Amino acid sequence: MDILVLLKQVPDTESMISIADDGVSIKGDGLKYVINPYDELAVEQALKIREAQGGTVTIVSVGSAKTEQAIRTGLAMGADKAVLIDATGMMIDGLGTAKIMAAAIKELPCDLIFAGHRAVDDDNYLVGPATAEFMGIPNISMAIKAEVQDGAIVCQCTVEGGTKDVKAMLPALVTTQRGLNEPRYTSLPGIMKAKRKPMDVKTVADLGLDAAELKPLVTIKSMSQPPERKGGRMIEGDSVQAKVAELVRVLHEEAKVI
Amino acid sequence: MCDGDQKGVAIMAQVIADRRDVDFVLFEQLDVEQLTQFGKFEEFNRKTIDMVISEARNLAVKEILPTQQDGDSQGCKFENGIVKVPESFHRAYKHFIEGEWLALPEDPEYGGQGMPRTVALATSDFFNGANYSFMMYPGLTHGAALLVEAFGTKKLKDLFLKNMFTGTWTGTMLLTEPEAGSDLGRLTTTAVKNEDGTYSITGNKIFISSGEHNLSENIIHPVLARIEGAPEGTKGISLFLVPKVWVKDNGALGGFNDVICTGIEEKMGIHGNSTCSLTLGGKGQCRGYLLGEENKGMRAMFLMMNEARLLVGMQALSCASASYINAINYARERIQGRHLLKVMQPDAPSVPIIQHPDVRRMLINMKAYVEGMRSLLYYVGLLTDKAAQTDNEQERVKYQGMIDLLIPIAKGYVTDRSHDVCNNGMQVYGGYGYIREYPQEQLVRDCRITMIYEGTNGIQAMDLLGRKLGLNQGKPIMDLMGEVQTTIAKAKEFETLKPLAKDLEKALNRLAEVAMTLGASAMSAKALNAFSFAVPFMEASGDVVMAWMLLWRAAIARQKLEGKAKKKDQKFYEGQIKSAEYFIQSIIPVTMGKMDAIMISSPSIVQIEEDSFGGK
Ligand SMILES: Cc1cc2nc3c(=O)[nH]c(=O)nc-3n(C[C@H](O)[C@H](O)[C@H](O)COP(=O)(O)OP(=O)(O)OC[C@H]3O[C@@H](n4cnc5c(N)ncnc54)[C@H](O)[C@@H]3O)c2cc1C
Repeated sequence: MDILVLLKQVPDTESMISIADDGVSIKGDGLKYVINPYDELAVEQALKIREAQGGTVTIVSVGSAKTEQAIRTGLAMGADKAVLIDATGMMIDGLGTAKIMAAAIKELPCDLIFAGHRAVDDDNYLVGPATAEFMGIPNISMAIKAEVQDGAIVCQCTVEGGTKDVKAMLPALVTTQRGLNEPRYTSLPGIMKAKRKPMDVKTVADLGLDAAELKPLVTIKSMSQPPERKGGRMIEGDSVQAKVAELVRVLHEEAKVI
Repeated sequence: MCDGDQKGVAIMAQVIADRRDVDFVLFEQLDVEQLTQFGKFEEFNRKTIDMVISEARNLAVKEILPTQQDGDSQGCKFENGIVKVPESFHRAYKHFIEGEWLALPEDPEYGGQGMPRTVALATSDFFNGANYSFMMYPGLTHGAALLVEAFGTKKLKDLFLKNMFTGTWTGTMLLTEPEAGSDLGRLTTTAVKNEDGTYSITGNKIFISSGEHNLSENIIHPVLARIEGAPEGTKGISLFLVPKVWVKDNGALGGFNDVICTGIEEKMGIHGNSTCSLTLGGKGQCRGYLLGEENKGMRAMFLMMNEARLLVGMQALSCASASYINAINYARERIQGRHLLKVMQPDAPSVPIIQHPDVRRMLINMKAYVEGMRSLLYYVGLLTDKAAQTDNEQERVKYQGMIDLLIPIAKGYVTDRSHDVCNNGMQVYGGYGYIREYPQEQLVRDCRITMIYEGTNGIQAMDLLGRKLGLNQGKPIMDLMGEVQTTIAKAKEFETLKPLAKDLEKALNRLAEVAMTLGASAMSAKALNAFSFAVPFMEASGDVVMAWMLLWRAAIARQKLEGKAKKKDQKFYEGQIKSAEYFIQSIIPVTMGKMDAIMISSPSIVQIEEDSFGGK
């Protein structure tokens, strides 16, 4: 079984993010980058299925030269090979990324694709489903269970307040949700082996795409930091009872949380 | 993990150790990539090392750090000869050995990873900082396996090494007995040779770290014992390999080998690590293999001692490093008191305590020591790698001499100062520092034992003065001083560092003088007097080594600042220069005073009559 994983490199959630001078992007300088956490789940699930069924796991990523670091981490976890589409300097939105992914995947043997349901940097929940759409294959979103059975993928997915069971014939694309698995840590031998695993680097032009088709449909107008947290507020009152009553009132009328 | 702190780990900018500082030492100060010149390490370029450190940090923060408090509050439980480690240790241990982190620098044929020791040391900065009482299980296993590798026959290596390097079995070190602590010559555990070539072992060992526990199905004990009829004292000691469960010649587990745990100690810190009393051969059923030659046990121990002592230094540093990181994070957030220049203004806001001069004093003191000590330990690691890999005999002797000289400082001085750092770390927290809920008091307690085991710091200081100073007619100390001079010359190239370089030079020259004088009197009729100043001498030497490391850092930082440093790096580099300034201007004058005291060598210490101590 040939399994693909769509992987994005994102700023580490531990990093302090600041807005660049252009006001529409973040400062990359000095940031630490990691695999998008949901894509880690995708790598893990692909590895699990490969371990059970045999086959290969290939990582596909759209990024720049520095994306190699995240890719190598995926390879160190156990993926077999990788394709990096180097789009350095291009402004691409989620839809554009999906177009590139679909074009790249066309050239690869593929039975099953895993992707994170969103990337924690842009949070637009788009690339997985749009890639499936461009490829004309089924998409299953937010899986917390995913098993291959008789040429189909059978998933349990989260929906508002519950779960649903879904099945699709392969090839199909599945996006991951927290709870699907617990991504393994990379082992040291894994790290050493990862250095020798093949990684193809391609450009968008190599895939036969031209910049015009990738022109973003969405542009970022501006970015702002979330408002700074205000200091705490002490509830005044003569007795405990009075304070509690006041607290309840504030929560109900002002904060509107109860 | 997804959305940050899924496993309850507080995510902040830095925990345990400052990654930027670790990288600075590895790549900017020591240029660890130079090791790629040796065939064995050619794969270890920066990218690979980066990935290794990142993954070590990741595992340390996500899996090991969460066991730190459990280790302390639950501790080890002893019942009927069985010792249970805190529950959470099992999961962490599984991850640790599955990732094959236990034997980073060792032979891949036996399950090691063939990695430079310097890099292994950097990973253990994070691992130990996350929970070093946990790390003692794999750490001692590594040490015990090294003895098998160095002194075991082919058969023993095949039987034991792989299972130890992979952590399937764990290891220990059985030296101490009730009457034999610092003086191992007094040990009474005996060995009698059997017809099949094994030895029957009988005796009692105490204070044995990881001596019994439920993390692995077998525990392999290197044991110091005296073969029946062997000479008294250290000359009659041999080293044996004694498994808890016998291992058959085909590698399968055999019967219980009569190594019984009779109890574990209640102690001040490192509660997560079991400190065991072990009875060997209580039923006459304990067998062991001789490691190396008969009566050469102490020599075997000495060969491993440098490595073990360096690791104890690392245990201590990692406590200090974690305490420092906690302290700066806390001092930035804890609001208390008005700014000193606004105390008279009743409406002036309260400020984070990092703005108070005295808190800053503690923080910069912690910073300077942590940085200097990190540089020193990694530097010894680098010398060890180079000594092992070079084929130039002259260089090898030079590196080895410097390692031997620096080890008592890397153990004795570093553990003393690390404990001071942890104490400051507690002080920065105020009352909260003393409270269990906060991490600082545990670090003070955990760190304390490093000053005692693996040769007390008093013994380290005597080793420095009595053995290391005069090694090879004093060549190592001359070599070391040469290296310091190189740094001084480099620093003098920068106008702003010149005064610091000159101050260090003065201290260095004074140290040379003190070393000559004290070294000579150590070998004279005034030996007692000299050795009563062994610890002050270790302190002065350590201070000068710290100042050297910090000036070296500052010179690099200065150079980077004059080039095009990234904005974020600028503050880091400026901080390097401040550490050097602080240490050389604030600590080294005290060191000069300490050296004056050594030169005076007050005879009071030796002269005071035992009865005059009073108390009777
Ligand atoms: C938690 C813990 C874990 C340990 N783990 C292990 C282990 O895994 N394996 C193991 O074998 N041992 C272990 N030990 C034992 C440890 O190494 C010894 O306690 C240590 O070496 C000191 O020996 P002692 O306790 O007998 O003290 P002593 O030797 O009695 O020393 C008492 C004091 O006298 C000083 N002193 C002694 N002799 C001299 C001298 N000749 N000159 C100057 N001063 C001297 C010492 O510096 C010390 O201050 C452990 C101990 C503890 C507490």
